[in-house]
Amino acid sequence: MYLYLPVALTSINILIPVGLGLVVGLLSGLFGVGGGFLMTPLLIMFGIPSTVAAATDSNQIVAASTSGTYAHWKVGNVDFKMGFHLLIGGFVGGLLGVQGIKILRAMGNADFVIKMAYVLMLGIVGTYMFIESLRSMRKKKVEEVKQRKESGIAGFLKLLPLQTHYEKSGVTHSALVPIVFGGFVGVLAAVMGVGGGFLMVPVMVYILRMPMHVVVGTSLFQILFNCIEVTFLQAYTNHNVDFILAVLLLLGSTVGAQVGAVFGRKLKGEQLKVILAVIVLVVTVKIIFELTLTPSLLLSQAGGH
Amino acid sequence: MKAVSSQQSTVNSHKTEYRLRLLLVFVLISMLSALCPLLFADDASAELTISANHDHITIDFFYHGSTVSVSGTSDAGTDLIIKITAPDSHEALKQKGKAAGFLWMNLGTLKFENAPNLYSIHSTRKIEDILSREEMDKFVIGYPALNKHIEIIPVSNDEERTKWFSEFIRYKEESKLYASSSGQINTTNQTDKQTYYIKTDWPYQAPPGEYLVTVYAVKDHKVVEKAETKVIVEQGGIVKMLSGMAANNGAVYGIISIVIALGAGFGVGMVFRKGGGAH
Repeated sequence: MYLYLPVALTSINILIPVGLGLVVGLLSGLFGVGGGFLMTPLLIMFGIPSTVAAATDSNQIVAASTSGTYAHWKVGNVDFKMGFHLLIGGFVGGLLGVQGIKILRAMGNADFVIKMAYVLMLGIVGTYMFIESLRSMRKKKVEEVKQRKESGIAGFLKLLPLQTHYEKSGVTHSALVPIVFGGFVGVLAAVMGVGGGFLMVPVMVYILRMPMHVVVGTSLFQILFNCIEVTFLQAYTNHNVDFILAVLLLLGSTVGAQVGAVFGRKLKGEQLKVILAVIVLVVTVKIIFELTLTPSLLLSQAGGH
Repeated sequence: MKAVSSQQSTVNSHKTEYRLRLLLVFVLISMLSALCPLLFADDASAELTISANHDHITIDFFYHGSTVSVSGTSDAGTDLIIKITAPDSHEALKQKGKAAGFLWMNLGTLKFENAPNLYSIHSTRKIEDILSREEMDKFVIGYPALNKHIEIIPVSNDEERTKWFSEFIRYKEESKLYASSSGQINTTNQTDKQTYYIKTDWPYQAPPGEYLVTVYAVKDHKVVEKAETKVIVEQGGIVKMLSGMAANNGAVYGIISIVIALGAGFGVGMVFRKGGGAH
C-alpha cells in the first residue's frame, strides 16, 4: 500500500518506512544509539529528499528513544545526573558544530569533510571497540594490562576540579569530564548530522568507565532531549519534518526499540559491544565504497547534512 | 480558416473552489486558443484539437501517480508531437566528481536555469525525422532543443556542458520526471482527418502545480499548428492540511510532531510493560 508524504512530496510503499523503523529501532533499544547514522542515508536511498530525511529522522528518534529510555528507566539503567551533564555539553557543542558547518560550507567541500569525519570516527571507534571487546571476552589477563595502561588518563581526570560521584554508574569524575566530552560529541553530531549516540556510547564505556547497561539508558536519555530540540528547530525554521513519514517510522521503531531493550538485557555487555562494533565497521566500509566507487548518477539533490 | 479549439473534460469535483479554478483555466485556454490562429496565419486550412481525459489530479493520502490520456483530431497526413511540461524553473543539484584520482565527492553545486521540473515528449515518428532543427529549438521540442534552452552554471566549456546536461537528463529520467518516446501515439484515419490518442503515466514525483500539454501538428519539417490544454495537480484532504501547516505554522507543527512521537514511544512502552517483559 502506498501513502503520499505531504512534506517530502513523494509517494512511498508503507512497508519501507515501517521496516526501516523496526530495524533502526531495534538497534536503538539494543545499543542506545539513535540510529540516525543509518536511517538518514537509508531514507535518501528510498527517494526521500535529503533535507526531509534528516529532519524527519530526528522526529522518529524522539519516539524510538522515548520507549527505549522508558524501558531502561523502569529497570534503573538511566544515570540522570550524568545524562544532564552530557546534555549541557552536547547542547553547547551542537551550537558550535552548526556554526562550524556554516563556515565549512562557505569554504566549500563541507560534504567531503563530513564523509571523511564519518570514515575516521566510525573506523577508529569501531576497530577499537571490536578489538577491545574481543580481547576482554577471551582473556582476563589482557583486561588487567589494559587497566594499568589506562591509569594515566584516569589519573589526569582525577586531578580536575568539581569531582562528582555518579551513583547510578558507580563512578567518580569531575563534572567537567562529561560536559567536555558531551560538547565534543555535540560538535561532531552537528557536523555529521546525527544524534551522536554511536560516539557517546564508546566515550561512556571506555573513558568514563560506566557499566554498559547504564551507558545505554543514559545515552538514550541524552539523545531523546537532543532530538526533541532538533525536531522543533527543523520544523520551525526549515519546514522539513514530514509528519506522515515520521509516524510510519515510529510504528516500526517504537516496537523495534522495545524488542531491542528486552534482547539487550539478555545479552552480555561484551557481546553487545562486539555487535555494535561490527555494525559501525560495516557502515564505515559502506562509506569508503561510496567514496571510491563510481556512482550511478553524478547529480544528486542539494541539501541534507 | 478555422479556429483552433481546445476542450476540457468535465471534472467531478464537489468543491466550488475547484470549479472556480477550472473556469479560470477554461477562460485562459480559450484566450490562448483564440491567439493561436494569429500565430499560425500562414498555415491555413487545418484543424487541431486536444483534450486531456484526466486534467485535474488530486493528490490525496493514497496517491501514487496517475495516468493521463491525451487525444484529439488533426489533419490527415500530419505528424504529431505531444509535449507535457512544467513551467521553466531553476534547480540546484550537487555535482559529483573524482578528487585526488580515486575519491568520489560532491565537487560543488550546479544550477540549472530555465529547466522545467517535468518534461515529457512523445511523437508519431522520431522527432529528428519530422522536424527541422530550427523548429525544434523554436518550440523547445526534444532533448537537443532543451539543451540549448537550459542554462547550466557554472560550466567552463562545451564538453563539460554536454556532460552535465546528459547527466541532468539521466537524473530526471531516473526520477520519472523526464520521458521521451516515438511511435507511441495511436492515430486513426478518417476521410480527411485523423484522430490521435496517447496514454501516459503521470509520475507521483511531479509536485502540485499547473502543467501544460501541447500538441504540435508537423508537416514538411515545420510546425503547422499547435493546441494546448492543461493538467492541474493539486493537494487535497489530509495531505493539503498537513503540508499547509508544515509550511505556514512550523512551531505548532513541530510541537505536534514531538508530542505524537513522545506519545507513541510511551504508548508502546506501556504495552510492553503490561506484557511482562520487564524485570
